[in-house]
Amino acid sequence: MTTRSPYRRATAARAGRRRLGAIALLLCSAALARTPAPAPAPAPLTIELRLRNHLFEPSEIQIPAHTQVRLRVQNLDITPEEFASWELNRKKIVPGNHTAILYIGPLAPGAYPFFGEFNPKTAQGRLTAR
Amino acid sequence: MLIDSVIIVLREIIAVAFLSSVLLALAYFLRIPGPRLRSAVLLGLGGALAFDVFVRLVFDRFGGFGYEFAHVAVQLATWLAILAVLALLMLAPRAPRAALRRLMAAAMVLAVAREGGEILFYFASLSDQGDSISDALTGAVIGAGVGFSAGTLFYYLQLTQRPAAALTTGATLLALIGSGICAQATLLLVQADLLPAQTPLWDSSAWLPESSPVGQLLYALIGYEATPSPLMAGVWLASSLLALAIALACRRLGPRFGFGAGPPLPDPQTRS
Repeated sequence: MTTRSPYRRATAARAGRRRLGAIALLLCSAALARTPAPAPAPAPLTIELRLRNHLFEPSEIQIPAHTQVRLRVQNLDITPEEFASWELNRKKIVPGNHTAILYIGPLAPGAYPFFGEFNPKTAQGRLTAR
Repeated sequence: MLIDSVIIVLREIIAVAFLSSVLLALAYFLRIPGPRLRSAVLLGLGGALAFDVFVRLVFDRFGGFGYEFAHVAVQLATWLAILAVLALLMLAPRAPRAALRRLMAAAMVLAVAREGGEILFYFASLSDQGDSISDALTGAVIGAGVGFSAGTLFYYLQLTQRPAAALTTGATLLALIGSGICAQATLLLVQADLLPAQTPLWDSSAWLPESSPVGQLLYALIGYEATPSPLMAGVWLASSLLALAIALACRRLGPRFGFGAGPPLPDPQTRS
């Protein structure tokens, strides 16, 4: 009985893998072609938050629960601040005179404190989902 | 102000100190000239300055998520450097020493650049603090000192282990650090709505809140989250398994390419 050389075995294996790859690509294309395009998602609610003299304005925010929200943090100071919240799992440095965008939620009903990490004694706020 | 400054700087420094101590301890046991700490720190500081400027430049780009993209890019590069170090470590004791040393240095420089960039932003925020600036700077020096001391302590603690265990311990620690970096990158991408937000898998904030000193330390070191989403937990686990798979594959395939087959790691304390 003759056995194939390692080179022939490797070549046959490569050809086999290419065939499998082509079949997988064809199946994926067919599946995508039959799937109707999803409806565009509605734009998330945008909440404006300003930071002035190391104070958040407003310091209390209310948002609907179980809803994703787009938060725009406008830093009106000349120095950077870090918007942070352990409960929201969010941290982002906002350079002076810049606006940061973060996505938050969907959140279960409750209160979620946030603060300015560089000025935690003054820059404090709370986001309530209800 | 002083305490806040200590905590902010300590949290950034300790992540770098932890990674550096693991890499330097591995270099010690492998008897390779470790990456020069001073050079890595200096290069990293230059990188921190460049990173700070870069983040400011790209902040408003990419749909307003330039900050997230910049951080994720550096985190990804750090993670890849750690994976490459892990792969080469498993070829020990015949690991290519020059390549290993350069990759270790690259991982340290990237970590210093990213964490240093955050500290530079903090220092920039002090410019309007008036009389409190001296407290803040004192706190920063204390925080840096504590961070470096903790890293040094951990380095010497690792040197007390048996050489036979050094590779396994170091590789495990590197895998955990890499997973933490991936988890933090995932959070940033969720924040930018590039990955989906999900309901947390569990909530361990009752017994270990993230805001506690231990929680913050674990977040900095291994990416601890009190309320991880399934995606974040999955990324953490997948990156750990990938690191393990790479380590095992290199350990097995190493001898085929002339690596790995050789005497066990010598005790660095015995004279050759």
